Amino acid sequence: MTQKELHLQRLVNEANKKALQFYSRRHFIKESAMGFGALALASMLHSCGLGSSSTSNNIVFDPAHPLEPKLPMFPGKAKSVIYLHMAGAPSQLELFDYKPDLMKLDGQDCPKSLLEGKRFAFIRGVPKMLGPQAAFAQHGESRAWVSENMPHLATIVDEITFLKACTTDQFNHAPAQLLVHTGGPRLGRPSLGSWATYGLGTENQNLPGFVVLTSGGKFPDAGKSVWGSGFLPSVYQGVQCRSEGDPVLFIKDPNGMDRDLRKASIDAINDVNQQEYKEFKDQEILSRIAQYEMAYKMQISVPDVMNINDEPDYIHEMYGTKPNVASFANNVLLARKLVEKGVRFVQLFDWGWDSHGTDASLAIDVGFINKCRQVDKSITALILDLKQRGLLDETLVVWGGEFGRTPMMENREGKPNPFKGRDHHVSAFTIWMAGGGIKKGYTYGETDEIGYYPVSGAVTPFDVQATILNQLGFDHEKFTYNFQGRPYRLTDVSGKVIDEIIA
Amino acid sequence: MFLTITEFIGRFHVLLVHLPIGFLLIGLLLQWISSTEKYNVSKEVITVIIFCGMIAAIFSCITGYLLSLSGDYDEGLVGWHMWMGISVASISFLLYVRIKFGQIDIWYKVLSVALLVAITITGHLGGSLTHGSDYLTAPLSDSTDSVVIPRKIIPNIEEANVYGDVIQPMLQTRCYSCHGAKKQKNNLRLDDPQWILKGGKHGAILNSNPEESKLLKRILLPREDDDHMPPKQKPQLNEKEIALIHWWIDEGADFNKKVKDLKQLELIKPYLLELQSDHAEEKKAIPIIPTEPVEKADEKNLQPLIDKGAIIIPVSKNSNYLMANFVSAINITDEDIKLLRSIRKQLAWLKLNDTGISDSALSVIGQCTNLTLLQLNNTKITDKGLGLIKSLNKLQSLSLVGTKVTAKGVIQLQSIKGLQSIYLYQTGVNKNDWPALKKAFPKTEIDSGGYVVPLLATDTTIVKAPKAAK
Repeated sequence: MTQKELHLQRLVNEANKKALQFYSRRHFIKESAMGFGALALASMLHSCGLGSSSTSNNIVFDPAHPLEPKLPMFPGKAKSVIYLHMAGAPSQLELFDYKPDLMKLDGQDCPKSLLEGKRFAFIRGVPKMLGPQAAFAQHGESRAWVSENMPHLATIVDEITFLKACTTDQFNHAPAQLLVHTGGPRLGRPSLGSWATYGLGTENQNLPGFVVLTSGGKFPDAGKSVWGSGFLPSVYQGVQCRSEGDPVLFIKDPNGMDRDLRKASIDAINDVNQQEYKEFKDQEILSRIAQYEMAYKMQISVPDVMNINDEPDYIHEMYGTKPNVASFANNVLLARKLVEKGVRFVQLFDWGWDSHGTDASLAIDVGFINKCRQVDKSITALILDLKQRGLLDETLVVWGGEFGRTPMMENREGKPNPFKGRDHHVSAFTIWMAGGGIKKGYTYGETDEIGYYPVSGAVTPFDVQATILNQLGFDHEKFTYNFQGRPYRLTDVSGKVIDEIIA
Repeated sequence: MFLTITEFIGRFHVLLVHLPIGFLLIGLLLQWISSTEKYNVSKEVITVIIFCGMIAAIFSCITGYLLSLSGDYDEGLVGWHMWMGISVASISFLLYVRIKFGQIDIWYKVLSVALLVAITITGHLGGSLTHGSDYLTAPLSDSTDSVVIPRKIIPNIEEANVYGDVIQPMLQTRCYSCHGAKKQKNNLRLDDPQWILKGGKHGAILNSNPEESKLLKRILLPREDDDHMPPKQKPQLNEKEIALIHWWIDEGADFNKKVKDLKQLELIKPYLLELQSDHAEEKKAIPIIPTEPVEKADEKNLQPLIDKGAIIIPVSKNSNYLMANFVSAINITDEDIKLLRSIRKQLAWLKLNDTGISDSALSVIGQCTNLTLLQLNNTKITDKGLGLIKSLNKLQSLSLVGTKVTAKGVIQLQSIKGLQSIYLYQTGVNKNDWPALKKAFPKTEIDSGGYVVPLLATDTTIVKAPKAAK
C-alpha cells in the first residue's frame, strides 16, 4: 500500500466512524426527544400567533418553491416592472425641467443665499450659474417640456407621467443608488426587485423572476448590492444576465457532458442536499435545491429568451439594436422579451451619466448628448412596443437617476472645470413613469425658477417605492419581513403613495 | 393652575386602576382555594389583601373622578364606569367588614360573587373608554377600520355652500372621530357650527385674524409637531383639503356663504372644479376585477392544467376571482381549456398567449362571463372564434396580437360596452377597415400597433468636443 492509499484509507475510516457516531443510540434519543419537544412547542407557539416568525402578512416563503407565484394584497395594475436606471444621474435641466430664467443668470456668480449651509460633492467657493444647454419645446397633448436631446421620447410624452420634484438626501452615487433601490443608503437591505419577487414570485417558472442587465462599461457605483436580496432569502437577488455571449456565465454544458448527464449530476447533488436538509432543517438548503433545478431549466429557456438575433428586422430598426454588439438598446429589447415571458422585475443600469464636465465624455454639451442619443430611440421603442402588444397596461416602466444636477456650473475644488458640467444635486430632479396603471400625459411636481428647490409636489425615493409597490398590489406599510427582531419594510419608516399620478 | 394639578393627579387613574383589580381578585382566589385543606391560607392574610384592595379601589375612584373632569371621554360611558367603580369600592368595603368582624358565611359568598361581577364590568367599561367601545370585538367583525365616506358630487360648485358642501365633509372624514358626537378630545366638537364657534379647552379655534385661527394653525404645523392635527398616526388632510380650509378661513370662515360669494384664488379654482367633476367616472378603469362577490372556486379539476405548467391563482388575497396565465405551460390544447369550465364564474384574467389553442377553446372561454382581461396573442383563433365570446360583457381589455382575425370578426364584439382596449397589432385587420372599426367601437381604444421610431440623423452622429475647449 502506497503512502497515498494509506492516507485515503485513513480518511475513509474516519468518515465511516463519524457517520456511525452520528447515528448513535443517543443521537436517536436526542433527536426524538428534542424533535417531539420542538414540534409541540412550535405548534403551541403557532396557536398563540407566534412561531415561524421569519415571514409575516401571510406571505408564505416556501423554500422548496421560493419563486412560485404568490398573491398580492389587492389586485395590482402592474404585473411587471422595468426599471431603467441612468447611473451617474442625468441632468434634469437639459432634459425635462425647462428653466428659461436660469438662462438669464448664465455666467453670473451664484447668489450667496443658494450656497449658505449647503454642501456639494465637488463645488467649492462661489460657482457660476449655468443656463440650460439644450433647446426645449412642448410636446403632445399634455404639452410636456422635453429638450432636443430626446427627440424620440418627445413623441410619446402622452404616455408618460413626469415627477418633476423628486428629492433625495444622498449626494454621492453609491448611497444614493442604494437609497433609490433598497430604501436605505447603507448596504444590507433587499432591493426593489427582491421585494417584488419575494412578495409575488414569478409567473414563468423556467426563468428567473428578477433579471438585471447592465451597460455603459461600468457597474453602478453601489455595486451588485443595488440588486441584492439583503436579509431576504438569497433566491430573491437579481440574476445578472449579459447581453452578448452566454447570457449567464457557464450556462452551457462543458464539452463531453450531455444534458442527461447534467440532469443526473444535478439530481445527485440535490439528493445529498435533501439529506442535509433532513438533518439540519436549514431552509437555505431547500432554496439551493430549487436554484439547481432552476439553473437546469434555465439552460434551455434563458438562451432562447435572451437571443435577440431572431427578432424581425423591423423590431431591430425600431429599437436601433445590432445583434452581437452589447448596448443599452439590446438590453431594452431584452427587457421587453423578458416581460413578455412573464419575468416579474427587469432592472437596467446604464453607466455614464455623471456629467461633471471634467472631460469631454462627461460634458453636459458633449458626452451627455451622446448618452441621450444612445438611449432615446430604444426607450421610446420599448414604450411603443409594449403598448402595441397590449403589455404596457400591466408593465410599469420607471426611468430615472439617483439624484439631479445643480443649476450651477461645477468648479471642482474652486477651479473652473475644462468643460461645462453640473455637480450632484439632491433637492430636485426628474423621474418618469409609464404604464402599469400610472396616468398618461401628466406632470406632477414643480421646481422653482432655476430648478433648485421643489415648489410643489415634492416626492422622496420612498414615495416612489411606495407607489411602485402599490401598483404591484402591496400596501408598503404592511409588506414586511421580520429580521433582527423587528419587521422591516422597503420604505423603512416613511413613504407615501403618490395618489395623484395613479390613473 | 388648580385644574392642571387635578388633571395631573387624575392621570394616575390609568395606573392605579390595576391595583384593586389585582388585590381583590387575588383575595377572592385565596379565599376560594382556602376551602381545601391543602391550600389553607390564614384569614388574617386575606383580610390584609382585601383591605389593600379596598383602599386602592377608593383611590382609583377619586383619581378617576378627577380624570373625568378633563372631559376627554364619552360622557355616557364615563357615568357608567364611575358608578360601577364606586360599587366596586363599596362592595370591597362591605367584604372587608364581613371578613374582619364576621364569619365566612353565605353573605360573604354573595358579596364575593357581586364583587367579581362588578370588577369585570368596570374593567370592561374602562377599556371601552380608552380604546373605543368596539376595541374588543373589532377582530371578530369583518369590517375594516377605515370608514370611507363616499364623496358627494357637487352639481354646480358656484352655487354650493362653502361650509356645508366643501368644508363640512372634510371635517367629517378627518376630525369627527375625535371631535364629534362620540368623543370630544379637549372638549372640542367640530360637528356643528355652534360647537366650532364655541371652541375647546384652549379657547376659540376661529379668530378674526385668519393667521391666528387655531383650527388652521394646528393643521399647518409640521406633521412631527406634537400639536399637529390630525395626530400624525391618523389619516391626514391632503394638500387640496388643506388649501380649501385655508381659503375658507382666510375668507372669514362663514357658515352660510356660497362659493360664488367668496373671492377665488387661482390656486383654489382647480380644486373647487374637481369637487364638481365626477371622480368616479374619471377612475372608471380602477375596478379591474368584477365588483360583485363570487363564491370560492372549486379548483380540484384544474390539476391537469397546473401539471402542464399553467398558473391559476386568485387575483389577490381575500378575493375569490382567479387569474390564469399559461406563459410557461406546454402543449396546451383546446381539450385542456375545457377544464376551465369549473371556474367559469371566478376567472377574471386569462392569458393564453403563444399557446396552441384555436376557435373551439373560445366556446369554453365564452362561458367565463366574469372575464375582464383576455389575451390571445399569437394563437390560431379566427373570426369564427370571436363570435363565441361576444357574451363576455364585462371584458375590458382584449389582446389579439399576431392572430388571423379581421375587422369583420372584431366587429362582432361591439355589444361589449365596457371594452376599453383592443390590441390588433399584426392581425388580418387592414387600414381600410379602420373607419368601420372606429365607428363600431366609439369609446374603445383600438391599438393597431406597427409603430415606427424613425432613424434620425442625430441618432447615429456623435457629438465631439469643440477644439477651442481643449
